[in-house]
Amino acid sequence: MNITQLPYIKDVYGFLGSDVMSGLVGLLIIAALVPLNVAFLVLVERKVAGHIQLRPGPMEVGPHGILQTLIDAVKLLGKEMVTPSSTDKLLYWLSPIIVVAPAFVGFIPLPFSPLVQIKDVNVGFLLIFSFSSIGVISILMGGWASNNKYSLIGAVRSVAQNVAYEIPLLLATMPIILMTNTFKLGEIAQAQAQSGLWFIFYQPIAAIIFFIATTAETNRAPFDLVEGESELVSGFHTEYTGMRFSLFFLAEYTNMVIAAALFTTFFLGGWHGPVLPGAVWFFAKTYFLLFVVMWIRWTYPRIRFDQLMNFAWKILIPIALVNLFITAIVLKVL
Amino acid sequence: MLTAGQKKLLVELKSSLAESVPEGQISESDYAAKGYHLDVRLQKGGVRRVAQIMLDRRFILETVTAVDFIDSFELVYLYSTYYQQQVRLLVRIRIAKDAQPYSVSAIYPGAIWLEREVYDFFGIRFQEHPDLKRIINPDEADYFPLLKNFGKTKFTDQIDDILC
Amino acid sequence: MLNIKTIDDATISQRVYQLNLGPQHPSTHGVMHLLLTLDGEVVVKIEPIIGYSHRGHEKMAENRIYEQFLPNPARMDYLSGMIFNHGYCMAVEKLCGIEVPRRAEYIRVITSELNRIASHFIGTMDYAMGLGAITPFLWGWDDRENILDLLEMISGSRLTYSYGRFGGVRNDITKEFYDGTRKFIDRLRSRFWDYENLINQNVIFIKRSRDVGVITTEDALAFGVTGPTLRGSGVKYDVRKNEPYSAYPEFKFEIPTRKEGDCLARYQVRMAELEQSINIIEQALDHLPPGPVRAKVPRFVTPPEGDCYVTFESARGAAGFYIVSDGTRVPYRIKVRAPSFSNLFVLTKICPGHFLADIVAIFGSIDVTVPEIDR
Repeated sequence: MNITQLPYIKDVYGFLGSDVMSGLVGLLIIAALVPLNVAFLVLVERKVAGHIQLRPGPMEVGPHGILQTLIDAVKLLGKEMVTPSSTDKLLYWLSPIIVVAPAFVGFIPLPFSPLVQIKDVNVGFLLIFSFSSIGVISILMGGWASNNKYSLIGAVRSVAQNVAYEIPLLLATMPIILMTNTFKLGEIAQAQAQSGLWFIFYQPIAAIIFFIATTAETNRAPFDLVEGESELVSGFHTEYTGMRFSLFFLAEYTNMVIAAALFTTFFLGGWHGPVLPGAVWFFAKTYFLLFVVMWIRWTYPRIRFDQLMNFAWKILIPIALVNLFITAIVLKVL
Repeated sequence: MLTAGQKKLLVELKSSLAESVPEGQISESDYAAKGYHLDVRLQKGGVRRVAQIMLDRRFILETVTAVDFIDSFELVYLYSTYYQQQVRLLVRIRIAKDAQPYSVSAIYPGAIWLEREVYDFFGIRFQEHPDLKRIINPDEADYFPLLKNFGKTKFTDQIDDILC
Repeated sequence: MLNIKTIDDATISQRVYQLNLGPQHPSTHGVMHLLLTLDGEVVVKIEPIIGYSHRGHEKMAENRIYEQFLPNPARMDYLSGMIFNHGYCMAVEKLCGIEVPRRAEYIRVITSELNRIASHFIGTMDYAMGLGAITPFLWGWDDRENILDLLEMISGSRLTYSYGRFGGVRNDITKEFYDGTRKFIDRLRSRFWDYENLINQNVIFIKRSRDVGVITTEDALAFGVTGPTLRGSGVKYDVRKNEPYSAYPEFKFEIPTRKEGDCLARYQVRMAELEQSINIIEQALDHLPPGPVRAKVPRFVTPPEGDCYVTFESARGAAGFYIVSDGTRVPYRIKVRAPSFSNLFVLTKICPGHFLADIVAIFGSIDVTVPEIDR
């Protein structure tokens, strides 16, 4: 069910057209959710990192450091946005803006609960997937426009990495789509709720491949050589300061949330759960996955670039293909 | 006290060195007091011949340094081994202030940097050195710091403390 | 991996670009400038540029009396400051013929080995951090804090020590230090398992360190490499065993070596040496002899004319002091043999042909301390 089907909205604002209304309400929800999510996640990351490293993490601002991100955001707002003189001005300015767009768009088809979904787009998953490819272009733009060898190396690496890992990502979701016969994320979650058994039990291999591929797509460790601190200072966002840097940051964390939400929808049953309302289960599962992603980041070192490409092309893609064939055959036979 | 292996190695070294650099003075020194077993004093040359013998006998060139005696330099090469019984050699050669000794970097590549350091601090130019330029001091420096007539030493009468 | 030797130089010269790794960089230990010539991601030529931390220690030596030079050795290799400090004292004692009491020798050994453990923690964990594993770095520093606290109890400083004096050490160890060291050893033994689990068996760590930056024994011989960098290539050379000094002949310990010569081998050698150092400290604490901790020496030592060379094993390799004396209170020339100087030069031979990410790994595994190179 969609928000615009709630009676009073149609009555009161019906003159504007239900699509426009739902669009506006949806935008407001995204505009509220995304920064809140990111703020929360940044703090969680720092606390998790701290505790894994035997130290408490930020403790100063607010009780146990809860207000840390707020203060950081204020600080970043106050920083001077330095533009190096020899950069390509238009691309340099454009890149952080474009990198945020897929992040916002990706929230639209996510099914937070049976009632709350901004719009159950009928190409749901494909929408998210194609917009994330735009994110790659923006990274390349940012790296090229910075006129800095480190940024260029980082950007080139990121393009190769993202393109390579999109294929196992798609191949890992194909079995699910074959099983449920739809691209709509709401219906996929619905199917798991009805059958009672989450898809992770039907497709464990696809789940693992999906997890690895999204970790690589969002440039998280151990695949974070795009921004590998020890080699490339800061990769493609070396030359970005202040609010522009925070836009890249925002996009990265939002992408992580979308990836975790997709995993939840495809494999963990979305909002399906016994007692508590659907939205609570959805967010609980998403944040648990994000915790696992962070846990992995602070445990493993970085993979080298050629090993990364080998892993994608020689290992992940064949396994995903075989999995897809087996699923197709089983579905046809049964 | 020297072991049998060390004594044998010393004897062999002395004989092969005496054979290839007859004009050098080779003397055994007291290891407990000096820290090296053999002291080879060369006069006119022979640094590269000694280096070749040392490489063939699997010694490493531990360090190259120079000492500024006011009217001459003394180039010091220190060899030691990690393959056989521990024997350490000090090879020294007195050269004039404007002399240009040959580089041993063709034999021991590690000497490239060691000799660059000697050039950087003393101004001794090595012939046939692949890359003789300053290494530690700034590239534009026009002084050679470790010379005795530069900076605060006894000989420039600028030495610091009343304790000295 | 690209085979550089088969590509024509002319083709390369149109494709290569230069990248400066450093002098300010998150992963070079110290102010180190590496000028890389890259073809895509493959390194064609590497040139280390040094001299950014040059402070003129050898010139300072000509301007001070021997006692006034005592703080300087620790500042050269600040991670093995205690070892250098004792080494300098040994050199002057050899020149003057001063005999050090046994208790002082034992204390020197205990503090040197503690320093070696602290330095190896940095060496190994900095290598892990260069690969991207940040957690072991913080765990290693946590353990290292204990050592720094212990050494501060007796010497007063945490990093740059002037604890040794000619003829012994400055003051005796306290009961607090003795008990603290015992507790520290027990705690460290139980922590090895954590490191083993986190890094040593980590698949990505092994994949990135195996067969990367192999130093053959021929290269080591030609360049004068010493220390754990050498022992990772299979040569069993350690100054503490080959040319024993101080109280080392009285202790039983082994020299761990590995055959492969790659980054993983050097890392494993350093981790194994941690255990050997603990053994030495335990033996020294068990058999600590009573007695004075400082011999009677004149207020200002005046060594006779002559020269002497003393070598000792710092955490990085075989270091040494060559002192030339002219019979006065002021040294005529002090030359410091820094093991990192020769170890760093090997990079120019082994790096070409590797990827950019490997350069950071190789540089970390050689474990240089830049101020020691520049002096």
